[in-house]
Amino acid sequence: MSSHRLSTGGQIDRARSVKFTFDGKALTGHPGDTLASALLANGIQLVGRSFKYHRPRGILTAGAAEPNALVTTGTGGRTEANTRATMIELHDGLNARSQNRWPSLGFDIGAVNGLLSPFLSAGFYYKTFMWPAGFWEKVYEPLIRKAAGLGKASYEADPDSYEKCWAHCDLLVIGAGPSGLAAALTAGRAGARVLLADEGFAFGGTLLTDRDARLSAMLAELEALPNVQCLPRTTVIGWYDDNVFGAVERVQKHVAEPDPGQPVERLWRIIAKQAILASGAEERPLVFGGNDIPGVMMAGAMRSYLNRQAVAPGKRVAVFTTNNAGYRTAADLEAAGVDVAAIVDPRATNEPGWNGKAKVLTNACIVDALGGKSVSGVSIAGASGVQRFEADAVAMSGGWSPVIHLACHRGAKPVWSDTHAAFLAPERQEGLSLAGAAAGLWSTEACLSDGSRKAAEALQLLGFAKVEPAFAEADAAQPAATPFWFAKGSKGKAFVDYQNDVNLKDLGLAVREGYGDVELAKRYTTNGMATDQGKLSNINAIGILAEARGVSPADVGTTTFRPFYTPVSFGALTGASRGKHFQPVRKSPLHDWAKKNGATFVETGLWYRAAWFPRAGETTWRESVDREVLNIRKNAGICDVSTLGKIEIFGRDAATFLDRVYCNGFAKLPVGKARYGIMLREDGMIYDDGTTSRFSDDHFFMTTTTALAAGVLTHLEFCAQTLWPELEVHFASSTDQWAQMAVAGPKSRAILSEIVDEDISDAAFPFMSARTVSLFGGKLEGRLFRISFSGELAYELGVPAGYGESVADAIMQTGEKHGICAYGAEALGVMRIEKGHVTHAEINGTVTPGDLGFGRMVSTTKPDFIGKVMLAREGMQASDRPRLVGVKPLDPKASFRTGSHILSDGAAATLENDQGYVTSSCYSPNLGHTIGLALIKNGPERIGEKVMIWNGLRNEFTDGVICSPVFIDPENEKLHA
Amino acid sequence: MPDLPTLRPALAGEPALDSTTIALQALPEGHLLQIMGATERAVVEAAIAAAGLEGSDVREAGYRQWYVVGDKQLSSKTLRELTSALPAGTFLSDQSHGRVRIRLSGPHATKLLSTGTAVDLHDAAFPEGRSAITLFGHLSVHLTRKSAAGFELIVLRSFAEALYEELHAHAA
Amino acid sequence: MASLITCPHCGQRPKEEFTIKGDAGLARPAPDAGADVWYDYVYLRDNPKGLHKEYWHHSSGCRRWLIVERDTVTHKVHSVSDAALAKLGGAA
Repeated sequence: MSSHRLSTGGQIDRARSVKFTFDGKALTGHPGDTLASALLANGIQLVGRSFKYHRPRGILTAGAAEPNALVTTGTGGRTEANTRATMIELHDGLNARSQNRWPSLGFDIGAVNGLLSPFLSAGFYYKTFMWPAGFWEKVYEPLIRKAAGLGKASYEADPDSYEKCWAHCDLLVIGAGPSGLAAALTAGRAGARVLLADEGFAFGGTLLTDRDARLSAMLAELEALPNVQCLPRTTVIGWYDDNVFGAVERVQKHVAEPDPGQPVERLWRIIAKQAILASGAEERPLVFGGNDIPGVMMAGAMRSYLNRQAVAPGKRVAVFTTNNAGYRTAADLEAAGVDVAAIVDPRATNEPGWNGKAKVLTNACIVDALGGKSVSGVSIAGASGVQRFEADAVAMSGGWSPVIHLACHRGAKPVWSDTHAAFLAPERQEGLSLAGAAAGLWSTEACLSDGSRKAAEALQLLGFAKVEPAFAEADAAQPAATPFWFAKGSKGKAFVDYQNDVNLKDLGLAVREGYGDVELAKRYTTNGMATDQGKLSNINAIGILAEARGVSPADVGTTTFRPFYTPVSFGALTGASRGKHFQPVRKSPLHDWAKKNGATFVETGLWYRAAWFPRAGETTWRESVDREVLNIRKNAGICDVSTLGKIEIFGRDAATFLDRVYCNGFAKLPVGKARYGIMLREDGMIYDDGTTSRFSDDHFFMTTTTALAAGVLTHLEFCAQTLWPELEVHFASSTDQWAQMAVAGPKSRAILSEIVDEDISDAAFPFMSARTVSLFGGKLEGRLFRISFSGELAYELGVPAGYGESVADAIMQTGEKHGICAYGAEALGVMRIEKGHVTHAEINGTVTPGDLGFGRMVSTTKPDFIGKVMLAREGMQASDRPRLVGVKPLDPKASFRTGSHILSDGAAATLENDQGYVTSSCYSPNLGHTIGLALIKNGPERIGEKVMIWNGLRNEFTDGVICSPVFIDPENEKLHA
Repeated sequence: MPDLPTLRPALAGEPALDSTTIALQALPEGHLLQIMGATERAVVEAAIAAAGLEGSDVREAGYRQWYVVGDKQLSSKTLRELTSALPAGTFLSDQSHGRVRIRLSGPHATKLLSTGTAVDLHDAAFPEGRSAITLFGHLSVHLTRKSAAGFELIVLRSFAEALYEELHAHAA
Repeated sequence: MASLITCPHCGQRPKEEFTIKGDAGLARPAPDAGADVWYDYVYLRDNPKGLHKEYWHHSSGCRRWLIVERDTVTHKVHSVSDAALAKLGGAA
């Protein structure tokens, strides 16, 4: 408990305090703190337990790569597990809890796993729990799941809102450290549209840690440039094809009570003409015993907490470093009054220019950090053997790995550089260049200069005339880096991957057991998995594998970088598409008419269709549907059919075109007539059906089923534009233009005659007539069709959608004395089954016109139409194909369900004996029993045959008989009335 | 004879929004004509002028397609006259009821539209008078910039309520 | 897959505005072309590595069918043309 806040310094607002809780304990920090810095300032170093061994863990980094300090924040629906304490901006009311501990963080029973560690080494899943097999599911897995793990998700709904948006820019700059700021300034001054994104809440990167005096002026200038948009708290998560970037902006994750008018997170999709990746470099941990004890920290992170938040990591710090970073930290620690116990450097000579108080031990290593829940000292192996130093914190720096993830999201392979002792990405790819530390430059001046130059180059590619770099060329010379993979002679566990508890020995074991390939080692040891995806561990693991195999890291190579760079919430990915806005609701122009007539609605795709219209006293849907059906066959009914697809087809060649897309003939369809048409797929199966009417020589009107309205239009456009572009034909969807009503029943003519100005008697307006008509004494025009789905005398009337409700009201009013009723999709379905009319229940993608009894409609004279050739294949014409028939129960009181299969009388209920299945069924109130349509082998030749209707799912058997699919008015007398 | 039919606008009952940052309103259901065929914009403009529709706006609506848009309701007679004024091979489909116009304006209009469409709405890339057919969220819309901070959206009538409510929710 | 397609009529748009149909190199055979030719046309598709021409429909935009030539390895789009105009020999 020795980390603490210094009395002066830091970029925090000491005048204000921020109240928060950790594991229920009330604490305070200041604006400018992260949760991590505030915990350290409060002396809290132990923040979590490790995944497998439940070892005490502290804060290792000050950034996005943090593997240890994962906490759960928020309560109720705002609960968020596995968030990094290093990335959480401290705010009033922040409620954070540690994870993976029971009963408490300080005393965790799971830590006993550490004693079992010999059994939990690499590959333990594969080895230990092999036998008996049944034990895996019942015993081992539940135990492991309970013992090992991260935070727990909430089951409550998230009360906050999320948003997605698109953005465009000339130059996207990723990272607002020295390179990124220099790039943004250069491009901003040149007048380019610039987006500058950084995952932190403050721009500056290492300039913040360095307390660089130039930073405030740079930020002020960027702020003042109207063509530069700054996005703090925004992590660019992926680089996609065509230079599209994904980014997540944490809009309100740092406020106590989010403003409900704003999203808490925003997912950006950024279309960038050019981009600069200035994501900096990640400091590498050193692998030595006890390198996970709370108090062991990255040197750069320690310096960041010291300089940005005035937090000292302890009273006496041991520094273990392979490069100048450890010396910088030591210097700043000493300047802040913190003792530096020693600087331990495995190199032969120390960093030039060190003039601090601390003693430097060269050719030396920290082999073990000592302690339990905090550091008590270190064991240092050097020329004079192993000596023990007192220390309460350890700073470590194993060199730097450029953060190249995004540059490799589209397939580029990282390349090992011996001089950098790091993997580098290609410095320039189409649309993206790397700048600064991401490109392997370590000094601030070199980064400022490189960012400026890369921005100027990017803008020149876009045609900007002369672009002045914001910072002049700087000397980019830098010493070669020394790779150092692990300290030899450690007694304690030396961790490589903190998050997955993978230690040095696990990787050695993987190599010995033949899993030394980088991809295999990853799966065998779990190194590089989980939320941090090996940001800290991968390079060390590669170095260790290389050393164990006796090859260069270049030969080991890396695992594949994939989006997302850091974890993304499901909320951000979902955006606003949830609840009511999950998908749009599509409403018919007669929706409100149906609603006021008491309709019960059913979702049909995006549409809401009236299903039935219950009346007082009706307790089941069947009562309502039976009444509607009986009334229509006796009097009349009106139904909203606006959802059927409607397409206007224009052009000199419209008739020719229709002849080619329908299997039956349309060229000779007279003006004023409608015809039922069947459209095939090119493989000869039926695609869709509907009626098409002709309003003039070069104007047809097609209707499609509701389900395929969009698909048919797309199909017609495909045929017209790619198959026969020489035809003059144009399409306009008019589904939404017309409120379409079916008026059916023996009284339908009497009712419509009062509204339609023209004579609609059978003589003047016979079956399949289709004409524009005058309505209400010339006050309105509509389209009247004498077509029937119910089998009754019926019409469809289309009026401009805005008048739909009013016209439907008028029909109801006029029809009252004729006994009209409103009816819905269910009654429509019953009547079409009674009449043997098909829908997509029958047009299931495996039926030909012949299968449905339309064989004779197929033109034999047309030279070509879609599906003609393939329909002629032998198998498509075979007589034993399942073909449409009706089925009914032998006993009228018995029933059966849609989907039931047909067995020959006396045949066993096996798949081999399957004769076909029931495609549609309903209770027919007119016949007083269940009826069905079915596709049965040789069906039409088997009418009258007794069969068994078998529902294997429910084990139901119903004696039935095959019959004609037309149950009502087979002579069409009602239709032609 | 029953009552004469009355027009019910698709967005009747949807509240207009007028804040300092966003204004949202349904526009009158006047006329919206889809013109298609092998012709030029100037020919379409001449034809609508000849039919007495000088106040109507002609907007690009895809390859060789235009929308003729205005606040005035047109009679069937006017439509027939306009149809006959069009050159051979050019066709008119009345979509006055099939599509609904929504006006969106204010300093945050561009930002709100960027939540749904990937069209670059920067003044230089999408100047006044420019139209685009694009996906807004889940819906296909026809978008026109009418002024620096003013846009008009045209959407299928059946989706008008869904779009309007989505815009309203985002604008709040 | 490409993230952006530059429609010759509408300009650069995200892939969400499009629907892909597949190989644009297939020519619909004549009715008398024979069973094998028809079988190939209806059922057989190449899965080329490298350059590939596909039909993309700008379904949420201008509703034109386009021919997109793209590299199935690098995902780079090499050209986009209007299918009808390309077949008629006109400029897209």
